[in-house]
Amino acid sequence: MPSARRNDMLELAMAPQARRLQIAAAVSVLAALIWPGQAVLVARALGRLLDGVPVAPLPVAAGFVALGLIRAALGLWADRLSQQAAESVITGLRNQIIAAEAARAYETAFGGAGAVAALAGEKLATLAPWLLRYGPARARVMVTPLVLLTLSFSLSWAAGLILLISGPLIPVFMALVGMAAKDASARQLAGIGSLNDLLVERLSALADIRLLGAGRQVADGFAAEATNLRQRSMAVLRLAFLSSTVLELFAAIGVAMMAVYVGFSLLGEVSFGTWGGPLTPAQGIFLLLLAPEFYQPLRDLAAAWHDRAATDALRDELGLWQAAATPARPGAGARVTRLSGPADLRLTGCRLPSGAALPEIAISAGEAVALVGPSGAGKTSTLRLMAGLVPAAPGMVRVAGGQLLDDAAADGWRARIGWMPQAVHFLGTSFGASLRMGREGDLATAMKAAAAGHLTPRLTARPGETGGGLSGGEARRLSLARALLAAPDVILADEPTADLDAETAHAVVDGLLAARDRGVTLVIATHDPALAARMDRIIRIGNPA
Amino acid sequence: MSALWQILRLMLRDQRAAMVRGAALAVLVLAMGVALLGLSGWFITAAAAAGLAGVGATFDVFRPSAMVRFLALGRAAARYGERLATHDATLRALESLRLRLLTGHLAAPWQKLIRLRGAEALNRLTADVDALDGLPLRLALPLLAGGATQLLAFAALWMLTGWQVAVWVMAVSVAGGALVLWHMARHTLRPSRRAEAAAQAFRTRLIDMIRARDDLAVYGHLEAQQVAVRSAEARRHEWRLGLDRTDRRAGAVLAGLSALVAGGTLWLGLTMAQDGRLTPAIAALGVFAALALAETLMPLRRAVADLGRMADAARRIKGGLVSPLPTLATVTGTGGLQVSTLRLARPGESLSLTAPLSFAVAPGETVALTGPSGAGKSTVLLALAGLHPPLSGQIMLAGRPLAEWDDPSLRALLTLVPQRSVLMAGTVAEALRLAAPEATGDQMWQALEATALADTIRARGGLEMRLGSRGTGLSGGEARRLVLARALLRRPAILLLDEPTEGLDPATATHVLNGIRAHLPQAAILLASHRDAETDQALRKVTVL
Repeated sequence: MPSARRNDMLELAMAPQARRLQIAAAVSVLAALIWPGQAVLVARALGRLLDGVPVAPLPVAAGFVALGLIRAALGLWADRLSQQAAESVITGLRNQIIAAEAARAYETAFGGAGAVAALAGEKLATLAPWLLRYGPARARVMVTPLVLLTLSFSLSWAAGLILLISGPLIPVFMALVGMAAKDASARQLAGIGSLNDLLVERLSALADIRLLGAGRQVADGFAAEATNLRQRSMAVLRLAFLSSTVLELFAAIGVAMMAVYVGFSLLGEVSFGTWGGPLTPAQGIFLLLLAPEFYQPLRDLAAAWHDRAATDALRDELGLWQAAATPARPGAGARVTRLSGPADLRLTGCRLPSGAALPEIAISAGEAVALVGPSGAGKTSTLRLMAGLVPAAPGMVRVAGGQLLDDAAADGWRARIGWMPQAVHFLGTSFGASLRMGREGDLATAMKAAAAGHLTPRLTARPGETGGGLSGGEARRLSLARALLAAPDVILADEPTADLDAETAHAVVDGLLAARDRGVTLVIATHDPALAARMDRIIRIGNPA
Repeated sequence: MSALWQILRLMLRDQRAAMVRGAALAVLVLAMGVALLGLSGWFITAAAAAGLAGVGATFDVFRPSAMVRFLALGRAAARYGERLATHDATLRALESLRLRLLTGHLAAPWQKLIRLRGAEALNRLTADVDALDGLPLRLALPLLAGGATQLLAFAALWMLTGWQVAVWVMAVSVAGGALVLWHMARHTLRPSRRAEAAAQAFRTRLIDMIRARDDLAVYGHLEAQQVAVRSAEARRHEWRLGLDRTDRRAGAVLAGLSALVAGGTLWLGLTMAQDGRLTPAIAALGVFAALALAETLMPLRRAVADLGRMADAARRIKGGLVSPLPTLATVTGTGGLQVSTLRLARPGESLSLTAPLSFAVAPGETVALTGPSGAGKSTVLLALAGLHPPLSGQIMLAGRPLAEWDDPSLRALLTLVPQRSVLMAGTVAEALRLAAPEATGDQMWQALEATALADTIRARGGLEMRLGSRGTGLSGGEARRLVLARALLRRPAILLLDEPTEGLDPATATHVLNGIRAHLPQAAILLASHRDAETDQALRKVTVL
């Protein structure tokens, strides 16, 4: 659908670069049109040689080289424009993806972090060769063969006919092969994404794989997937090569036919094909020199053909990514001053992602509340609502003395929150930087309050992303330290004691209760009845059974 | 560069036959292209000369024109064959590189394994390996084929046109080409290393941003992380523009060089023909061949454009390549485990963590390892599993010293269930089959019954129940029990459990521990624990201090 295509992400991103790309195409056409001039020089010199007329070798050679240099310079200019345009388009699209991914409230149906990174990374990079080669090649295909055809016709209709017949057949074949290639490249691109997701999972679970002695099995599974992907890639390549072979074949046959026709004409064996007098040697040589250049733009286009197929497939993937839209999180996730008002919150008419209605929840400042309910009842979703991580519509979340938790208030409200998710994802920086996340505050005190003082020496180390090198308990203590760092007055904790040994659980609960004693509002989602019993109040979520 | 050379040799060795075939075909393609144009030029000029001299009737037209047709068709066919052979061989070589890398990760030392970051390891396995596809395809094979063709052309031109033309063509092409190569290699290595480093930083930071989106948003660091992702992309963009500049300049120089080679040949040909040293037809052959030899120069541009990126990728992955793992368990033994005067240190430290430990667990016995958190219980289990070298003391497993057990045999003998495990996306059956690929449905259900998980799984779709990425969809306690069931399916003679029932209520914990014992009546079970529910089951306790 052309209208849908005009408005897709890629076209929109290319629009600001349209002018640069047009100039690049025009300059590359101009460069290609220099060749007939060079050919005239060569043909006339050789023709005079045959006629026995003296030729000055140096001016001819110098003229030939000079034109060649102009052609190289024009090529340089065209490349510069299209390279700059390509880079701008790619960076523009990447920034768009970054912004959209940062704003999401939920994971996208498009795929995991690996799939998105693959799209924004290596898949978008495939745009560069397309922008660099395809556009200029297409422009040259429109102009150069036509010019060379006219020149050939003006000398000999038979020579013109050879080009005319062999030329247009090429795009027909290429279109047929190209259609098949697009389908194959789409399958290959999808293959790359799923292989990446598979690998990310395997790599995160390497320790378990090792312990289960399943290394061989996992490697075999991966080998099978990789073989599958290779076969798909080869299917794409085979088609791409086929299309360029068809083209090279026609080009070669065209050149060969031209050589044979010109040769026979010059021998006098063939006397048709010209307008009046016989073909002169210079004209014959000129025609032969034009022939390969007649096919060259088509060959360039064929070389860029699978770039085009890859881009069409990328266009579809970008479409899928865009279609897998999710609601946006309120607020930008920026560092702002704290929202003023008491540390209370009230949820009215909110719904869970499952569609189930949430009871009205009101928590006053300084209260300690346990959210309990069966797995999957929505405890985590409720905490995310309280932190403004998901839009509350159709319900409302009011915080800090009745202020609506909307875009304007969200960042200010979150600045007051200490957040303990079920699983911590440590960033690729040191533990210390991962805990700070750019905030001020006394890390040593927070570590002590989280009974993690003994881990202070390890803050400079770089973690594995699920905290490899730390036990589960240690990671949880660090998560608490992170929550306590900026003296929050609300703490939202998701299963803070699950999977912990009794001693660590004790330390974590002590840390949380100490915060409560300082007047911090505490909301804890938990399965643990003992922990729930230590809170001021229990709120049940989901079916009480 | 030495890493690049090493990897190239590895790839060539891996696919020797196909690479040799591809290289031979590549030379054939280039040589036939030069011969086609040279012969065509000679043919029409000679025909013109014969026509002018009036001896056209005696001129042998059939052999040259048949040769022209043969070269035209043969070249297209050889091109198709060459592309298929080299691409298939390269993709196969890359696949085997990837597999070696993954195997390297699987066999890495434990401390390295748990610190591995999925995103970075993924970069190694995908982006880095992909970058190397140009090594044979765009660097080694075109250089080799171009060089060989130049040599062939040199010999042919010397014989046909005399040494002057041959030396001019060879000297300018080879010297000019080498100069461009050298210049590019000097000016692209560092920028492309930087560009690639920035691209990988972009990827890693983007994956971090997506995975830790909630945490970053709550702590007001999302915007900063977004800026960090963008800045990595901006850096890549800048370096890329610089690389593009070097690249297009090299392209222009090579194009100018081709014009110079052909122009010089034209000058020499015209001069020598007028001196009577060459016939016009042979002079034309020289000019046309020189024009065609441009095809040996142009691929150099792409060859060096990626040199830096490839060298960098090769350097990074070189260390991770290992030969495939030994696969079969060869060592066997009977009996439980005995430990005498074992002393252990934390990784990277030399101070003994534990007082010397001596204990034994006979088949069918359950022994509990107790002691305060941080005393080193987990480290003892790691040492027994052969994943942490002890300072001193002896470990005997099934009657043999630990050192006699190779990794596959050791994994077959014992199973360690650590405090933290990662489940992967897939079905419950797939999760279980990771431990025991041949397990039947009945065996899986028995293992799930033993860990009190069967009813839960049955209610949610049975063995085909799907887990999300990292095992989402199960609560912490359920995931724990699935991990235990997985360990049971291995039917180890020695089972090491680190806090096996944390997160389970006491009744379930007792049920699970009884189930484990009933499932493996003959196993020697050692569990590290705090909980009464666990230690009560044990025959005796060993305290780690």
